[in-house]
Amino acid sequence: MTWVTWRQHRTEAIVGLCLLAALAAYAILLGTSMRTAFTHDNLAACIARSQGAGCQNAIGDFDGKFGSAVNIAFWASLLLLPGLIGVVVGAPLLGRELEFGTWRLAWSQTVPRGRWLVIKLALVGGGLAVLGGAMSAIIMWYRAPMDRLVGHLVHNAYDFEGVVLPAYILAAFGLAVLAGLLLRRSIPAMIAALVAWLALRLGVEFGLRNQLLPSSTLSRPCTGGCSGSFGNIGISAIPPETGHIGDLVLSGHYARNRFLISYQPAGHFWGLQFAEAGLFLAVTLAALGAAVWVLHRRGA
Amino acid sequence: MTRDDTGGGGPALRTAGLGKRYGRVWGLHDCTLTVPAGAIVGLVGPNGAGKTTLLQMIIGLLSPTEGYAEVFGVTSYAHSAATLARVGFVAQDHPLYRDFSVADMFHLGRAMNPGWDQALAQARMAALEIPLERKVKTLSGGQQAQVSLAMALAKRAPLLVLDEPVASLDPIARLEFMREVMASAASTGLTVLIASHVVAELERLCDWLIVLAGGRVQVAGPVDDLLAGHRLLTVPRAAGDAGLPGIPVHRTDSDRHATVLVRSDPAEQAALPHPGWQAEPVGFEQLVLAYLQRPAGALVIPESARAEARPGPAPKAAIR
Repeated sequence: MTWVTWRQHRTEAIVGLCLLAALAAYAILLGTSMRTAFTHDNLAACIARSQGAGCQNAIGDFDGKFGSAVNIAFWASLLLLPGLIGVVVGAPLLGRELEFGTWRLAWSQTVPRGRWLVIKLALVGGGLAVLGGAMSAIIMWYRAPMDRLVGHLVHNAYDFEGVVLPAYILAAFGLAVLAGLLLRRSIPAMIAALVAWLALRLGVEFGLRNQLLPSSTLSRPCTGGCSGSFGNIGISAIPPETGHIGDLVLSGHYARNRFLISYQPAGHFWGLQFAEAGLFLAVTLAALGAAVWVLHRRGA
Repeated sequence: MTRDDTGGGGPALRTAGLGKRYGRVWGLHDCTLTVPAGAIVGLVGPNGAGKTTLLQMIIGLLSPTEGYAEVFGVTSYAHSAATLARVGFVAQDHPLYRDFSVADMFHLGRAMNPGWDQALAQARMAALEIPLERKVKTLSGGQQAQVSLAMALAKRAPLLVLDEPVASLDPIARLEFMREVMASAASTGLTVLIASHVVAELERLCDWLIVLAGGRVQVAGPVDDLLAGHRLLTVPRAAGDAGLPGIPVHRTDSDRHATVLVRSDPAEQAALPHPGWQAEPVGFEQLVLAYLQRPAGALVIPESARAEARPGPAPKAAIR
């Protein structure tokens, strides 16, 4: 069965490796020049000394040089990529067999269909997890200088670093496998799974993520006028309003001569990552479990 | 008379009260059959008659709603490796992975079947001059069918099931495919079950017949016994069904005469009640068509008849 799985998915594996190579090449190119600039501008010393408060011009230069390359490229093109990878690999796994009738060949061999499916899911899912982990490691390495300025909690870093990226891919894969079984065709299954995945992905990012761990609150006396709106949310300032690089400011408001800032401390990164990855893995397992159950129960 | 002995053991295939319901509709209902080992069985029926449903329950691709099927004494269970290993199956349109080479398909067969006979599979391709390195999608329909057949045979299963194996093939490819099936059956004593609606094709090949219509078995038995147990009567149109010697299966009225296919015990076929009546033996195709033309669902086989739907003398029980 290992050979059968490999033979049916080797094209996807090769495309995945090419993708990884392209990402690595881009990362090495940009990552190296970022490192050079970071060292040249002596940003490390400045951050250590004053959390970046004393070298705003150098930080501004660095951000001007690399900010758009890092953020726009990844935010725009990579938001959908984990979902696309997952559904392109997942939807045909059952969808194509049902669409072209080859299930009658595959499941009339001596390996029962339940085992056939579980082995394929384990091998292909494992491959996707490795691919996602490798992508994540490359991005984490290459963004490291930028992350020393803005932390890992901002979207552009958080969504592609740590352990959430493989979990995003696996969730799309699981939803697509199930959609392929229910819709019995690859392309509609890809579309349906991608829509479901995107809704889940954005819902978690903008609704749930910052509630996975309780945020912290900072209270300090007002300086100047204690009124008006507070604009320095997210990473619009280095260091952020909390005075500590890596913290993610969620909101701020004035109350009785005091200024209250709600934020996720930088140290919450891995806790948030594991919580969110766990959520997506739970979705993956639920979808794959449903697929195995439906296949066993319904027949074809 | 019974061919049970040729296999040295019990029947190749036995079903008892086998049925499958899809929602509220029965795809197959109350199917009871016993097929001896070594038989070449034709399973005939119009589209939607339940042929594929019956086949899939036999080979372990589908669970029955009621009853059971046995292959060489072992009950078929969907999703069971033991059941799957006992049947070689060529599905309708002989599906293969199009981007695989023939060698890849055989590699898959070897990986997924413990009893795989690689030498047999390769020898078949060599004899048919199909190169192993050719991609499946570059093969002709007939060649793809031969690859499917080779895979089913290389499984070394005692029962070979073919679902509409030649429906999509041209006449030459049909001939070659069936020649290969028959040669394998002759040399190995394989029991073969062929579902088809190409009646003429089956007439040449089968020594056993099952007619399925409306989700029910209309008639089943050895071809010789069925032919001996039916005759075609030509009687005056006025003659009612009641006075006929035998049970009418199908009646065609013309201006003055009626042609009636009747089922009767060969031993009691001697005399006709009226000198003007004529009787002649029935052909395979006529017999099949007569049973297929019965109004769907009108058939009621009494309990006693189900017990008779076995190899041996022609069934005697009444069919109305």
